Amino acid sequence: MKVTFPHLGTMHIFCKAIAETSGIPYIVPPETSRRTLTLGVQNSNECICLPFKVILGNFIEALKMGADTIVMVGSGPPCRLGLYDLVQKVILEDMGLRFRWLTIPPRLTWQAIWKNYEETKELKKELSWRNILLFPYGLRMGWKKMMACETLEKLAMTIRPREVQQGETQKRLKKALSGVDEAKTLRTLHEALERGKALLQETEQDFTRVPLKIAIVGELYTVMDPHINRGVEQKLGELGAEVTRTSWFSTHILRSLRKNKADQNSERIRFFEASKAYLGYDVGAECNLSIGEAIVRSQEGYDGVVHLMPFACMPETTASGILTRVGKDWDIPILTLILDEQEIEGRIQTLLEAFVEMLQWKRKAA
Amino acid sequence: MEEKGRIGIPRALMFYRYFPLWKVFFEELGWRVIVSDGLGKRGNLIYFEDSCLPMKLLITHSMDLKEKVNYLFVPRLVSLHRHNIMCPKFRGAPDIVRLATDGSISILDETIDNRTKEDSMSRSFLKTSKRLGADDKEGKRAFQKAEQFFLNFQKGWEKRINGFTSKQLFQIDVPIPEEEKERPLRVAFVGHPYNLYDTDVNKDILSFARSLGMRIITPEGLSEKEIDSQVSDLSKEIYWSSGREIVGSLFHFLSGGVDGVVFLTSFKCGIDALLQEFIRRRLKVRGGASIPFLVLTLDEHSGREGLTTRLEAFKDVMEEMKKAPNPKHQNPNKFQ
Repeated sequence: MKVTFPHLGTMHIFCKAIAETSGIPYIVPPETSRRTLTLGVQNSNECICLPFKVILGNFIEALKMGADTIVMVGSGPPCRLGLYDLVQKVILEDMGLRFRWLTIPPRLTWQAIWKNYEETKELKKELSWRNILLFPYGLRMGWKKMMACETLEKLAMTIRPREVQQGETQKRLKKALSGVDEAKTLRTLHEALERGKALLQETEQDFTRVPLKIAIVGELYTVMDPHINRGVEQKLGELGAEVTRTSWFSTHILRSLRKNKADQNSERIRFFEASKAYLGYDVGAECNLSIGEAIVRSQEGYDGVVHLMPFACMPETTASGILTRVGKDWDIPILTLILDEQEIEGRIQTLLEAFVEMLQWKRKAA
Repeated sequence: MEEKGRIGIPRALMFYRYFPLWKVFFEELGWRVIVSDGLGKRGNLIYFEDSCLPMKLLITHSMDLKEKVNYLFVPRLVSLHRHNIMCPKFRGAPDIVRLATDGSISILDETIDNRTKEDSMSRSFLKTSKRLGADDKEGKRAFQKAEQFFLNFQKGWEKRINGFTSKQLFQIDVPIPEEEKERPLRVAFVGHPYNLYDTDVNKDILSFARSLGMRIITPEGLSEKEIDSQVSDLSKEIYWSSGREIVGSLFHFLSGGVDGVVFLTSFKCGIDALLQEFIRRRLKVRGGASIPFLVLTLDEHSGREGLTTRLEAFKDVMEEMKKAPNPKHQNPNKFQ
């Protein structure tokens, strides 16, 4: 048995840690590349959203490398993500690939357990007691690593706009992240995190700069994965903007576990409340939050908002329509980037440069 | 009864299923119902958001009505079935219309969510009637009458669709004419109601199909059971009611009983894009009856000529298949 999982930002570090610690054989799909995307595009149709294509590409590559068990997070209505597994299974089957599929249900319902029961029974045979006993420890390890990654990424976001040598922070972040990835025990992980933090803080910085403040909002997959959004976060940072986002892997896990209501969720509730002036109902996914966050950020004095969505994403299409009006009403520039498989890295760079320049002009005029 | 005012219903989206119900309801309450005109030859589409064509048409039709009526009726359709939901875009539709019309008109946008309560539909209409100044009793009576009328209307649907031109489909008062002649081909047309019956979306393909000698069959004629039996064994439930209906009826028709199946879809429709891939792959994996299957993707740029060419070719295929006593191709033919 060889387990595999899709890429999503630094999620592979989380999954890898779980599998490694509990001794389950695994294969990390190759880093999302042009080839991944091409494989995904060839085997789906044009109006399916980009995350579908990338995840499909990840799976195809991993299966060809010898993986045989796919673990995929599930989701509920109304977004299409909830039916990815149904369609991807048929596509992989049609391609003649052999695999087993395990969906982690977003909420534990009877239906979810029933549908997964057969597959889990099969898997149990191959797992030893050692694997099962170590699994909780693996989860803890994975979670700690996840939090460590997020701490480092958040730190990098504040350092990037002040770096003297462009690209330095990114280099150091990469090194720090791989340090976290390689840690085997909780103690070495802690050391790796501290080392990573120090490494980032040592970046030569120009503290006289007053960076622009930009919030990234939108569909979670495009916000979280730098391969999908072509490094919007890094690009904005290197153009001299301090970037914030509220979509993190841990946010969504905690949300679906309905934990931590006071902390992370209160922010989400605040965004949701703010969106009510424009949207009278929960449209689903991140739609309301994108709108709400844009409003709240404008009140907080942010300079601009970048809204990311995959082409033909159902909830975010509604959001993008409303956001044009929000931008006018609240006097905050909003740039919507619609992402698909096209080679648009250059175009995004130009758009972001123009956007940042415009924000700087706006700041000077005020 | 004295006329209280005018209510505008945009000729878009679920208009193409529920219009009879809506019309009778408002007329019972003493309001006049005004329906927007089609796009016409000029075809001036208003782009408010970058959505699918049916959604753009909703905005366009609402803009057309906004000066002519007292209220605009754009219900917030969250769910129309016990366990299934509508497309997420429908949830924001009234808000989008409100922004597009700059809040210059009051919108009747009560939520219909059958997941929470079985009778959410009648509750929502009661709320609407209250907003229009009617009391509970009047509202209830009007809804019952409307519902009764709607059920009767749906029974005559297949006759209606084969007797009328697409433009006349929702002319409620006109009696249904008898079919002029026997049509040799039985063809199922599947898709969202607003793709099937909106001539601005499909360039009146149904009338053309009839002129080619096709008898049209639509999913409306299938019972819930027939649809359920096709989708109940899937590894995951399709939670959109329209998607469920489409997949269920496609599998039903593709398993026999018709000469061909046409699937009409809008470009950028998220539900159709995903399910279309599912249907195509599943047919390939599972095999099955060899019934010709045509997928037509529509948007505001599709020309009538393109569609007619495809349909004519499809007709030839169906006729060939009919002639051959033992079809050699065991795999279903697909044209994309």
